[in-house]
Amino acid sequence: MLRSKKARLMRGLEFAGFTLPAIALIVLFVELPFIMSIVYSFTKWNGLDKVPKFIGLGNYIDILSDKSMHQALIFTLLFTVVMVTVTNILAIILAVMLDSNIKGRNFLRAAFYIPNIVSLIVIGYIWRFVFSEGFESLYNLTNAGIFEISWLGDAKYGFISIVLVSVWQAIGFYLVIYIAGLQTVPRDVIEASYIDGAGGLRRFFGVTLPLIMPSITICVFYSLSNALKTFDVILSLTYGGPGTSTTSIALDIYKTAFSENRFGYGTAKSVVLFLLILVITVLQVTVFKKREVEA
Amino acid sequence: MKKVLSILICLVMLSGFLAGCGTVKEETPAVAGTASTVAQEPASEATTAEPAPQEEPKKEPVTLTLFFYSPELTEQYNDMSKAYNEETGNTLDITVLQNDYATVLNAKLNSGDIPDVFMSSAYADNTTYKDYIYDLTNEDFIQQIEPTALTGVTVDGKITGYPFLVQSHSFIYNKKMFADAGITTLPKTLKEYEAVCEQLQAKGIQPFATGFKEWWVLPQTAWQLLAPIKDSYSGDYAKFVEALNTGALKFKDIKEMNNVFDMLDLVKKYGGKKPMESDFNDQTSSLAAGKVAMIHQGNWAEDSIVKANPDIQLGYLVAPVGDNGEKAGIMYDSNQTLRVAKDGKNLQSSLDWLRWLTTSDYGKNWIPGKIKQMSPIKGAPAAAAQLAAETSSMLSAGTPSYSWYYQRFPSGAEQGLGTILQGYCAGGKTRDQILDELDAYYQNLLKGAQ
Repeated sequence: MLRSKKARLMRGLEFAGFTLPAIALIVLFVELPFIMSIVYSFTKWNGLDKVPKFIGLGNYIDILSDKSMHQALIFTLLFTVVMVTVTNILAIILAVMLDSNIKGRNFLRAAFYIPNIVSLIVIGYIWRFVFSEGFESLYNLTNAGIFEISWLGDAKYGFISIVLVSVWQAIGFYLVIYIAGLQTVPRDVIEASYIDGAGGLRRFFGVTLPLIMPSITICVFYSLSNALKTFDVILSLTYGGPGTSTTSIALDIYKTAFSENRFGYGTAKSVVLFLLILVITVLQVTVFKKREVEA
Repeated sequence: MKKVLSILICLVMLSGFLAGCGTVKEETPAVAGTASTVAQEPASEATTAEPAPQEEPKKEPVTLTLFFYSPELTEQYNDMSKAYNEETGNTLDITVLQNDYATVLNAKLNSGDIPDVFMSSAYADNTTYKDYIYDLTNEDFIQQIEPTALTGVTVDGKITGYPFLVQSHSFIYNKKMFADAGITTLPKTLKEYEAVCEQLQAKGIQPFATGFKEWWVLPQTAWQLLAPIKDSYSGDYAKFVEALNTGALKFKDIKEMNNVFDMLDLVKKYGGKKPMESDFNDQTSSLAAGKVAMIHQGNWAEDSIVKANPDIQLGYLVAPVGDNGEKAGIMYDSNQTLRVAKDGKNLQSSLDWLRWLTTSDYGKNWIPGKIKQMSPIKGAPAAAAQLAAETSSMLSAGTPSYSWYYQRFPSGAEQGLGTILQGYCAGGKTRDQILDELDAYYQNLLKGAQ
C-alpha cells in the first residue's frame, strides 16, 4: 500500500521531470506571446510607442469592413480546399503505388520526401528561379506555349503555381503517414476480400480505405491547418502579387504589422485566423473520427 | 536509485534552460523578412565593423555605437571608421543590418539599448522616431549642408537628422543602344517615349525591363510621373499631402493620375513577355547585358550594372508627365538619414563625429570618393560615378528636379499603394477601380496613424 503510493509519486515526478522542460519552453515562447497578442489585439499600437492605446473591440470592428482581409480570406479558403484535396488524394495514390512491390520504391520514397526537408523559403526562391529563368530557357529550346505563360505574374496562374509548389513540397510528409497506415491493414482482411471475390478497386474502397481512416484524419488535419496558415511559399514566390491577388491571411497579417506598422490591428487579425483554424479543424476531426472503423 | 538520478538530471537541464533564458541578452541575428524602409538590396547577413586597435589616445578615447543599414557599403563604413580612429583615437563600433533593420532598431529603442547614432528614412520617420531624436538645428556643421538636402529632415523649422546620401532616380538608358538605334533626341513626353520604343523594337531591342515584381520600383516609377502636381499647391508638397490627409483631395480627383496610368501601360506594353516577373536583378542584368535599353531605377543600381558590364555608358532620361516636356524631370533627394540619439551615452562625441564627417578632408571626400554617390555637403567633390555626374550636369542645365514627396505619405503607404498599382499593371481592373482602391487604402493608413 505504502510502497505503491511511493511508486506512484516517483512515477509522477519522473513524468514531470521529463515533460517540464518542454512545457516551460512552450509556455515561454508560444503560450505567453499568444496571450500577449490577445491583449495587444485590443490596442492601437505601432510597435514603437511605449504605451499601447487601449481601444476595446475597435480592431475587430475594423476587420469586418477590411477589404484586403476579406480578399485574403477568400484566397486562403480556396487555396485550402484545393490544397487539402489534391495533396491527400495524390498522397494516397502514391502511397498505394509505393506500398506495392514496384522497382526502386525505396529510392522513390526518399525522392518524394526530400522536398519536405528543405525550408519553404528556400523552395520558394528555387521555384521562382525555375518559373522565370528556367522556363525562359525551356521556351527558347522547345517553343512550347506552356513555358511562355507568366506563371508568377498573372493572378490565376499565380494561384496554380503556388498550389503546385506547395503540393510538391508537402506530399512527402503525408506519403509517409499513408504508407505507415497501409502497413497496419491486416493481411487476413485483405485475403478475406480476395476469397469473397472483390476486385482491386472494390477492395481498395471497401476494405483498405476505411481501415486507413485514422491516417486520413491526421493527414487532413495537418494539411488543413498548414494550408490555412500558408505563408513562406507565397512570401518568396509572389509576395502576394501581382497586386494582392495571391495574398493569404498570414501574409496579410505580416504586411499589416510590419509594413504598415499596425501591430495592434495585425494581432487582432491573427486572433481571428486562430479562431478560424480552431473551428474548422475541430469540426473536421469530429466528423472524420466518426467514420473510423476497427478491423 | 536510477530514477532519482534521472529526475535530478532533468532538473539540472531545466534550470540550465531557464538560466539561459534569463541571462542571454546578445543581439539576435536577423531572421527572414523585409524591412519596409530599406528594401533596395537583397538579403544580407549582419556584419560588424571592427576598427583597428587604437594607438596613443589623445584624450579619453570614446567608443561610439552606430547602427546602420545598406550592407553593400560595409567596406566603406570600415574604411571611414579606420580613418576616424587614426585621426582622433575614438572608436566607432558599427553594426550593419539590412533585412530586419527597422524591427531590430525598434526593439533596441524599446529596451533602452540605444545606439549613439542610427539610420532611418527622412520625412515620415521624422515623427516615427521623434521621441528619440536629438535636435541638430543649432549645430554649426549643419550650415555646411546643402539646404535642398535638409527639406526631408526639417519639421517645424527644426533639423531632425543629418542627410547621409543624396540619390536620384528616373529612367536609366544605355547610351550606346540609343545611338545604334539612331535615336538622337531624347524623349520627354509620352508620345516621344512611344516613338522611341517603336524605334527600338524595330531594331529587335526590348525597350524596357519593368521591375514591376518589386513592390518598391512601381511606386517610384508611378509617383515620379505625378511629381509636377506640386505646381497646383504653390510648389509645396506638404500642402498636397495635407490635402490628401484631410480628405479634401482624393486620388480619384487627381486628373494627372491618367498620365501615370498611360506611362505604366506603355512600360508594360514594351516590357517584354513577362512584365510582371521582372525584378531588380532582372532590370540591372538585362540592361547590363544589352537585352533592354531602359529601366526605371536610381543611381544605387549603377554599381550592379557596371560590375556586370564595365564598359556600359549610362544616362538618365527625364520621366514624361503627359504632353508637357518642360516639366519632365528627375527625382533627387536625400532620404537616408543619420539620427543622433537624444539619450545616447556619448551625445557630444556623436556630434563631434558628424562635424568631422562634414568638415575634415577625409569626411568631405568619403561619400563622393569612396561610396561614389552624391554628397549633401556644400562644395563636396563630384561623385566618381556616371549617374551621379549625369544628375549634376542635368541639374546645372536646368532640368527640373523633384523631391521624394511620396515619403511624406503615412508610413506603409509606399508598399501598400505600390501593391495596388501592381494590381493595375497585372490587368483586369479599370482605372476607376484602382483609384478607389488607392483612396480606400490611404484612408485605412490614416486611421492606423491616427
